[in-house]
Amino acid sequence: MKYIIGAVAALVLVMVVALTQAQNLMFNVTPSPYGVEETAARIQANIVRLEGRGWKLSGLRNPAKAVAAGGMNVPPVLLVEACSTKYSGPLLKVENSRIYSILMPCTITVYKNDDGSTSIGTMNAGLMGKLFGIAEIMDEVYADQQAFIKFDPSRPAPPLIKTRPGGGGGGGKEDAGC
Amino acid sequence: MNIPAKKIHRALLLIGCFLASSVSANVAVTEPAAAVAATTAPAVVVEATEAKKSTSTADHSKFDALKKNFKSGPEVTKACLTCHTEAAKQVHSTKHWTWEFLNPATKQKLGKKNIVNNFCTSVTSNQTFCSACHVGYGWKDDKFDFTSENNVDCVVCHDTTGKYKKLPGLSGHPNYKKMEWPPHSGKFREATDLKTIAQSVGKTSRASCGTCHFYGGGGDAVKHGDLDSSLKQPKKYLDVHMDAKGLDFSCGKCHLSDSHEVTGSRYAPTAVDANGVLVRGTKGDRNPTTCVACHGNTPHPPGTAAVEKLNSHTDKIACQTCHIPAFARGKKATKMTWDWSTAGKLDDKGHRIQKRGSDGNVIYDSKKGDFTFERYVIPEYVWFNGEVKFTLFGDKVDTENVVKINEFQGSAGDPDSRIWPVKTFRGKQPYDVGNETLGVFHTAGKDDAAYWGNYDWDKAMEWGMKAMGVEYSGNMTFVETEMSWPITHMVAPKDDALECDQCHKENGRLQNIGGVYMPGTNNTPIIDLLGFAAALMALIGVLIHGGIRYYMSKRG
Repeated sequence: MKYIIGAVAALVLVMVVALTQAQNLMFNVTPSPYGVEETAARIQANIVRLEGRGWKLSGLRNPAKAVAAGGMNVPPVLLVEACSTKYSGPLLKVENSRIYSILMPCTITVYKNDDGSTSIGTMNAGLMGKLFGIAEIMDEVYADQQAFIKFDPSRPAPPLIKTRPGGGGGGGKEDAGC
Repeated sequence: MNIPAKKIHRALLLIGCFLASSVSANVAVTEPAAAVAATTAPAVVVEATEAKKSTSTADHSKFDALKKNFKSGPEVTKACLTCHTEAAKQVHSTKHWTWEFLNPATKQKLGKKNIVNNFCTSVTSNQTFCSACHVGYGWKDDKFDFTSENNVDCVVCHDTTGKYKKLPGLSGHPNYKKMEWPPHSGKFREATDLKTIAQSVGKTSRASCGTCHFYGGGGDAVKHGDLDSSLKQPKKYLDVHMDAKGLDFSCGKCHLSDSHEVTGSRYAPTAVDANGVLVRGTKGDRNPTTCVACHGNTPHPPGTAAVEKLNSHTDKIACQTCHIPAFARGKKATKMTWDWSTAGKLDDKGHRIQKRGSDGNVIYDSKKGDFTFERYVIPEYVWFNGEVKFTLFGDKVDTENVVKINEFQGSAGDPDSRIWPVKTFRGKQPYDVGNETLGVFHTAGKDDAAYWGNYDWDKAMEWGMKAMGVEYSGNMTFVETEMSWPITHMVAPKDDALECDQCHKENGRLQNIGGVYMPGTNNTPIIDLLGFAAALMALIGVLIHGGIRYYMSKRG
């Protein structure tokens, strides 16, 4: 009996931990000292600097714009999209891992909070990799992702690159990374 | 990090999707192109300007007086006055003409002519440029004839073509000859077609008022934050009243005018209007631009307790506080700071420098210094009773603290005060150390004293202070300043009004508002404990009471 109680208690504990910590595990939120546009532009500039690792900008989306067109107000949100053939290639090559194209391109969200501050949201690529058995690739993606959101304040604000969304089956450009 | 429960659910859903996908071969492939196009329209869109059929009873193109090839603006005015004989006299008594306003409460002499702000700072000595937004022709110095009827510019407010433009540097005139604009840009503006414009005059509109009011402070969206060119043809999300496909209010719909005097001045705003709906035509001096003037004192239709609660908020909160959740929500970012102290840096060849930020706005200009811009700005909030006290030229300035160019009066204990949203604009601007007053300097002109020509603060200050009738001390520095602007345009749809928990929470929007208790903004553990204990005792009491009654009923 005591084993059953112990198992149930452990299960409950795991569920509680999963429920309370899932957001921290799956997504990373990092504050930015810059405004939404400048943060997105600095991320783009960092991505461009990592071209040696196969990274290309593949799009910049503004979901708030579509919402505004529908008549509603939402604070600014920009989605910076990038892809690297170095990582996407091996995943797309194998049939079993082709489903992970759903994660492509790599998206970083930059948004304004209710208090006026700016946050950067990234998916926890490292954990994703472990969950889906593609840890080797995703660990590298995670490392690059961290480099994307590391800013050098001594550099001037770069211009926002208004790339059209590219990669994937939507008629993407060949140089869009994936 | 504080992520709400919805995000947790989404994360779990995502994991679920992945797990489900990994065991399923039947993955639907969809074409994302349409969705892509929908969310990535170009950032800059040329605003559509829908031509409206005139409902006027007069076709001005049929008037003989307007069938002339006018050589200048005053000639057009002269023609206008042949029919509208009293119009110029009426304009002469308005703030739009005098740029002066005597505040009846504070007795301060205000108006553009007298204020020193923390944008371009002062009109004095710079009339040639500033008068591009004056409803007159020829104001370039203090010799301007304010009694001349022909100097009134009728067209700047009544143009309907959108082609009439008064350029800075022309003393309130449009260009009568083809000229390069902006200077040294290689772009040219054709001579203004005064005949066509004069024959097309009509009622004022958002576009005609916006010719100046959208561009205050030297550019689109710069000054006010709640007024910019996005309001020419706004969508509903930006302003429910001005929604071009909805109510389509012109400025004059609220800012009623009589004899050319336009109501709703920011120099004497109405912070509280307790008089209910103002029936149009009612005589008196009430301000018709208030929300209450149309929506009444209980603007939320009575019914549920929650709605009653909203109505009860109106004794502390201005309508704008909830219904304008952010300003600069259109396409344009508004200027938030301006640091004149960094102006004057030139490149290696001694040429002017301009730097742009990530959003394309100029963030440094040798002529003006450093700026910051922001879009979708969360307002600051202040108690406000309608009285604004200005720091005027000549007032002794305390440089130890941030100088308040204007200060909104009011407090929690004042029954005539409400919590208002404001844009607070912060700057660093010239200060005359010897005279202990805000500095007035000569900004632009073809002389050798203009700062934008010589980058010499002393020369510019000497000229500017002299124009104010004061001798420059010869010693200047920069002081930090603040200036606030009430936020009252860009009213969002009601569904986008602030939610309760945007204020009633720790570090909520009104965290800097003092003198009033707001539930939910903080907690005291002992009070929480007492509350929970009381609730628990009540529950226990109910259970005991119910138990006894149940027991007694069983006993018969």
